[in-house]
Amino acid sequence: MPKKIQYDYETDAVLYRPIYETGKGFYITVGILLLIILWALFMYITQVWFGLGVTGMNQPITWGFYIVNFVFFIGISHAGTLISAILRLSKAEWRRPITRMAEVITAIVLAIGGLHPILDLGRPDRVLNLFTAGRLQSPLLWDVTSITAYFTASTIYLYLPMIPDIARLRDKGGKLTWLYNFLSWGWQDTEHQKKVLNRAINILMIMVIPIAISVHTVISYIFSMTLQPGWHSTIFGPYFVVGAIFSGIAALLILMIASRKVFHLENYLKKIHFQYLGTLLLIMSLLWFYFTFSEYLTGIFGSEPHEMHIILYKFTGPYAIFFWGMILCNFIIPVILLGFKRFKTITGILFASIAVVIGMWLERLNIVVPSLANPRIELPIGIYFPSIVEWALFMGGIAVFILGYVLFSKFFPIISIWETEEGRKEAITEVEERIQSYLPGDETISK
Amino acid sequence: MNESKKKINEGRIKSMQDKIIALAQLASFLAMWVFVIGITIWIINLISVSVELHDAPGVSLGISLIAIPVFITLASILTYAYFGFKKKDNSKLKNSSED
Amino acid sequence: MPKWAMIIDLDKCTGCGDCMAACKLENNIAIVSPEEANNGRVMFWMDMITMYEGEYPNIQIKRMPKPCFHCDNPPCIKVCPVYATYINDEGLVGQVYHRCIGCRYCMVACPYTAKVFNWYEPEWPEEFKVCFNPDVSVRMKGVVEKCSFCAHRLITVKETADSEEREIRDEEYLPACSESCPADAIYFGDLDNRESKVYNLSRSSRAFREFEDLGTEPKVIYLLKKE
Repeated sequence: MPKKIQYDYETDAVLYRPIYETGKGFYITVGILLLIILWALFMYITQVWFGLGVTGMNQPITWGFYIVNFVFFIGISHAGTLISAILRLSKAEWRRPITRMAEVITAIVLAIGGLHPILDLGRPDRVLNLFTAGRLQSPLLWDVTSITAYFTASTIYLYLPMIPDIARLRDKGGKLTWLYNFLSWGWQDTEHQKKVLNRAINILMIMVIPIAISVHTVISYIFSMTLQPGWHSTIFGPYFVVGAIFSGIAALLILMIASRKVFHLENYLKKIHFQYLGTLLLIMSLLWFYFTFSEYLTGIFGSEPHEMHIILYKFTGPYAIFFWGMILCNFIIPVILLGFKRFKTITGILFASIAVVIGMWLERLNIVVPSLANPRIELPIGIYFPSIVEWALFMGGIAVFILGYVLFSKFFPIISIWETEEGRKEAITEVEERIQSYLPGDETISK
Repeated sequence: MNESKKKINEGRIKSMQDKIIALAQLASFLAMWVFVIGITIWIINLISVSVELHDAPGVSLGISLIAIPVFITLASILTYAYFGFKKKDNSKLKNSSED
Repeated sequence: MPKWAMIIDLDKCTGCGDCMAACKLENNIAIVSPEEANNGRVMFWMDMITMYEGEYPNIQIKRMPKPCFHCDNPPCIKVCPVYATYINDEGLVGQVYHRCIGCRYCMVACPYTAKVFNWYEPEWPEEFKVCFNPDVSVRMKGVVEKCSFCAHRLITVKETADSEEREIRDEEYLPACSESCPADAIYFGDLDNRESKVYNLSRSSRAFREFEDLGTEPKVIYLLKKE
């Protein structure tokens, strides 16, 4: 019988509880998720065994769910590191309970998203050809490089601010002390170590922002570097980045609301946090609409026949329901729910976020499939129905994400404990001093 | 007698554990550098292939100019943190002397 | 260096589809079941586009054979992540089946939709398996393939010409489609050779290329129907 670890006396006892107490719900969730993942794995083995014919893809729609989900998951992953870096950089004090969660999303979802192109390969056994004979000129290789860079950067960015918390868990003793000891890198909470850590985080957060932006820009390049109508557009880079941050914030909000409920974090994730992030979501929604509007207006005004054909196909063709669904989910619902104070409750924000996540997935579908369904050459229009295999792998991807998050919360605090303590101790005086320095007056006063 | 022996033994096990963990930390930190150097070698290999095949080597070179420094900076930050944390004892002395 | 090009005379073409059949046999292309073909997994290196013009009851059917256009500036090779598709000095765009990882980026990038993918392990009825063309490798599942302008024939032609110590004659190297066309609508030859039939026909006022504005410079040239 392992000795019971005392954590109740801690001010932030709630944050330790999920690590030391395991309920029935945990095992049930993990069991269900593992079942889904096993099912997805089985489906993937079928696909490798029989060939990509088991999917719904065909000629000319040679890319389907896998690429849609690839772009979608990478988009979601932008929530974390980018938002956390921006909040840290702008010294937003309300960031403290959010950053860890955001960074976890990035690390897990990026790994899932980054694997999607491999699911899409006809010959996954030959993927190592990329190492011996890769062509850096191909946008796919740009992706491989930038996703690897972003994954490395965001994992380090998740890990470094976690070290003081890991050291706390190590000092508590109990389960897995050796693991925490290994991961804590000899952290003793000395002044010097704090200085080193802060400096490392500061360099990292400045670095991570351009890397994050480059990742989604490069993903849009996969499409915009081809000559296909509907894809060959210069706006795609920023359009994808905005869409990614948009869907990322929505995913972060959903996860925050879920964690608040499950781990009883009402005292940490307060209404103000949701209000602030909700406002950010609203801004991104308007920005997204602006980009969508510009993208389609240039197409319609120019009326290049192939371009126009695809736009009409999106507006009125068999995929019209997805197009208008996207407008509804990405613009109308969030603007109504977030724009009016009486709807902007936590429930309202939850619904808006769910709508945005669905809408952004539809947006990816609307970009990938209709352009491929209408090739320039006069072939019969293609139609695409995803097969059970593709659905299974989509579900599997989501399940891996939830499982990753649940397991993470079992081993590490999902809200940064040391940053919360630091906030409690130092933030008020620090902010006061900072505000003093903004106020008009002699330069010396601020010092 | 027995008691102190036991204590010494325990201490030995403890220091052994600490040594293993310190080694593992060093290994994981070196793995990061192996990873980064591996990527660098990979990219250089791709450039040499593209030069050999006259297949737009300029593009490869441009991408590598961005990619390699990014990875090396990331590894350097980790190195800085790794050695920065190690230096705790000196800084404590310094702090106390300054105080 | 010769620059191999194909000219398809739409005035002569009857749309019979003999080129498609000849191509399938020549290049060991898998025979896809009708259900799969309906799902858009049909495999043709030489395809036939059917266009309907006018309104009922005055509908005109236009047919147009469509091989790979062997562009001089091919969008497919620019995007390939592993050098599985390439253009050689003679302007032939080839595919390396044993290197292809099956990402299908080239198919997506091709404005002419000229490439096909092996969605399953390729299959043939028993009687076909005895008459495989030994000069063309059989593909495996999960790779992209496309018209090669019957490049294996060029090798034979070159070897004969070398052994007889002469240049390759005009119309000595012909792909299967061109050779089999009953209406003689498909010409093939060296676009850089001023004496070749192809060169002369390419200067005809009827000559046009698909989507010339894209700058891909296709080497399959069509001749318009005579008015």
